[in-house]
Amino acid sequence: MELSDILLKVQKPARYIGGEQGAVIKDKSKVDVRFAFCFADSYEVGMSHLGMKILYSVANSLDWAWCERVFAPWEDMETEMRKNNIPLYALESGDKLSDFDIIGFTVPYEMCYTNILNCLDLGGVPVHAKERNGLKNLVIAGGPCTCNPEPLVDFVDLFLLGEGEELLPELLELYREHKKLGSDKQTFLKSAAKLEGVYVPSLYTVSYNGDGTVAEITPADGAPKTIRKRIIADLDKCHYPDNFVVPYLDIVHDRAVEEIYRGCIRGCRFCQAGYIYRPVREKSAEVANQQAKCLCENTGYDDLSLLSLSTSDYSQIDELLAKMLPWTEKQKIGLQLPSLRIDNFTDELLEKVASVRKSGLTFAPEAGTQRLRDAINKNVTEQNVLDTCKVAFEGGYSAVKLYFMMGLPTETMEDIAGIADLAQKVIDLYYSLENRPKGKGVTVSISCATFIPKPFTPFQFEPQNDFNQIEEKQKHLRDCIKSRKISVSLHNAGTSLIEAVLARGDRRVGEVIYTAWKKGCKFDGWDEYFDFEKWKEAFNECGVTPDFYAYRKREYDEIMPWEHIDLGISKKFLARQDQLAHKSISTPNCRQKCAGCGATVFGEGICCETC
Amino acid sequence: MRPVRVYYNKVGKLKYISHLDINRVMLRMIRKAHINVWFTEGFNQHPYINFALPLSLGFESTSEAVDMRINDDMTDDEILKRLSEVAPEGMKITSVCEPVKKFSEIAFADFAITIRGDLSDKLNEFLAKPEILVDKKTKKGGVKQIDLKEKIVKYNVSKANGNTRLDITLPAGTQENINPNLILNAFCDDLSVESIIRTTIYDSEMKIFA
Ligand code: SF4
Repeated sequence: MELSDILLKVQKPARYIGGEQGAVIKDKSKVDVRFAFCFADSYEVGMSHLGMKILYSVANSLDWAWCERVFAPWEDMETEMRKNNIPLYALESGDKLSDFDIIGFTVPYEMCYTNILNCLDLGGVPVHAKERNGLKNLVIAGGPCTCNPEPLVDFVDLFLLGEGEELLPELLELYREHKKLGSDKQTFLKSAAKLEGVYVPSLYTVSYNGDGTVAEITPADGAPKTIRKRIIADLDKCHYPDNFVVPYLDIVHDRAVEEIYRGCIRGCRFCQAGYIYRPVREKSAEVANQQAKCLCENTGYDDLSLLSLSTSDYSQIDELLAKMLPWTEKQKIGLQLPSLRIDNFTDELLEKVASVRKSGLTFAPEAGTQRLRDAINKNVTEQNVLDTCKVAFEGGYSAVKLYFMMGLPTETMEDIAGIADLAQKVIDLYYSLENRPKGKGVTVSISCATFIPKPFTPFQFEPQNDFNQIEEKQKHLRDCIKSRKISVSLHNAGTSLIEAVLARGDRRVGEVIYTAWKKGCKFDGWDEYFDFEKWKEAFNECGVTPDFYAYRKREYDEIMPWEHIDLGISKKFLARQDQLAHKSISTPNCRQKCAGCGATVFGEGICCETC
Repeated sequence: MRPVRVYYNKVGKLKYISHLDINRVMLRMIRKAHINVWFTEGFNQHPYINFALPLSLGFESTSEAVDMRINDDMTDDEILKRLSEVAPEGMKITSVCEPVKKFSEIAFADFAITIRGDLSDKLNEFLAKPEILVDKKTKKGGVKQIDLKEKIVKYNVSKANGNTRLDITLPAGTQENINPNLILNAFCDDLSVESIIRTTIYDSEMKIFA
């Protein structure tokens, strides 16, 4: 069967046809380097990812390179493709993955690892790096999960650490030279390892102690002992797309997106994003406004979203809104401000948001008691939550969503009861208000995710709660909830365990990923596909115990599998922060006082203003 | 404010784009083209656009139409020019004019169908049968038997480069709608269909719709 016939048999064929407005088409005979940029999840998820849009635009700004998009086909499509021998192809040219010089993956979450293998395999590319001998089909990866690249080293030839706007073009240029020279893969890799921010895992050997911990990570062939991530010094001068590929399908985030700053001043101790993107660097309101306007103009979107880890921490938010509101209002463009924090959510800001679009109200207090919120450095008080709810209820809202984590370090049953208490207080508040929405009942939905310790956070040393502990806590939470107006949703425990292992795994976990994929694991981030039994079998067959990675407390002087990766965050700082957590002492944010995390090595951003 | 009707073709890869998605495409085109269209009033204000007839996924068409209302005095030619500049590949704006009839008056459509391989004799034989009974799902979720033969207004089977071409006129509109796939499936359930194009739409008197 032809592709055109298959497309009429599968759901949402628009995922597989390309041809969207904004897609970049070049003449393949006139470019030197062909780059397949892959997102190992569905089209709708991948197309919503800002990092991919930025790097797609950066790579295509080079006239000698052509960057195309590849997404993981949904199961129905994969079945048809395998049945009819149609290899995975890039959407722009329709050429199969194995035709490309470089195949790059952006890795935003651990649960897409098996999909990476599946994409390579579907594209006719050997999944193991050691089976790919030529310079062609070089597999590279970057993105937040690659701050611990070790579980993926069997499959990926090189990693780009940190921000890619400058590093990716440098790497493509180097590849171009070596391709012209006819270099072999090894020669290229050795020379790529000299670029700051490039990690070539095959140039490092890892040895282990008798207890299974890492003994030593040794570089060879002149590769650096530690690899430091790259950052962009000045966001105002950095390439930002003036157009997006605008999908036909309704995707997860179907709108224009303007990034306003990178990093986060907060340092919540469980949050990886709060550490790995440091230092905080802001875009100026002027530039952000111009870029946003241009994007809306070129894409035709009637929705615009500001993006950052915490919108209201942007120091020029008032200035930016003052610039944006006139033209967005006039053109009837919906302006969305996600990631607003509770503690500095002013009435005025709430009003501005509400006047633009009224959606549900969501808060992430993360923990049920002030004691625990101090321990995790989430600087939100119960009063903050209630004050904001009050304003919101009086403004006509009647549904609140509260996000919490369960299994946090130092957590007790009292903290769990606190979750139910807080939800109850929100309900009581609602009924105490004279001017609450008429004739409407209030609903509070609690969402409780299992805490997963991540590398480069103070909790990287901490054990994850095991199934029994989580189950007990879940039961306790349910017992503490008295009102029928409170609903609870809990997360899949198996998923959390696998994610924990992949997050802090070492090189030995690679074989488990391969085995799980061979057994049919894919789309692990989707509950309907996640198959815990297959993962358990994979661990067994490989002789790897998940408990070692998930449930074990690490000493502060243990060599981490990612010890050679330098994100500018010192391990001493992380250890200090973990100790403070155990004393329930919070740390002021970067704007108030530098906590000495180490990011000053970059000599940029907020660190240089406050230090 | 004045009403305008925009006619366009939807061909090539756009056949994989659903009717709902085309709605969004059109809204973005209007924005990019800076056409000052009328918005609905009320709480959820949105641009008013109204499509003639839904088109099934997988079909192409050279007879699509959408209505909108223009707030300023932009000419039809200008609208055509501007929309053409921002239209995606596979969409060609063919004309812009003042609407004459209402979309609810559409009653029939021509389809040009290409089937791979020469099946013209068999197809002729099939279509010449006195009745073609099939089960059709009703709107209420039930099933009723209908005779497709009596629905066919006219048809013609011909050979084209080793393929089979069927030109057929069927009821199409809000009153009654017969999807040509019903007939193709009744003929043979694993046909290899190259293309189905809706070429012309008519009113109840079989006059070309305008
Ligand atoms: S060096 Fe200081 S100011 Fe900079 S990110 Fe680290 S803690 Fe914050």
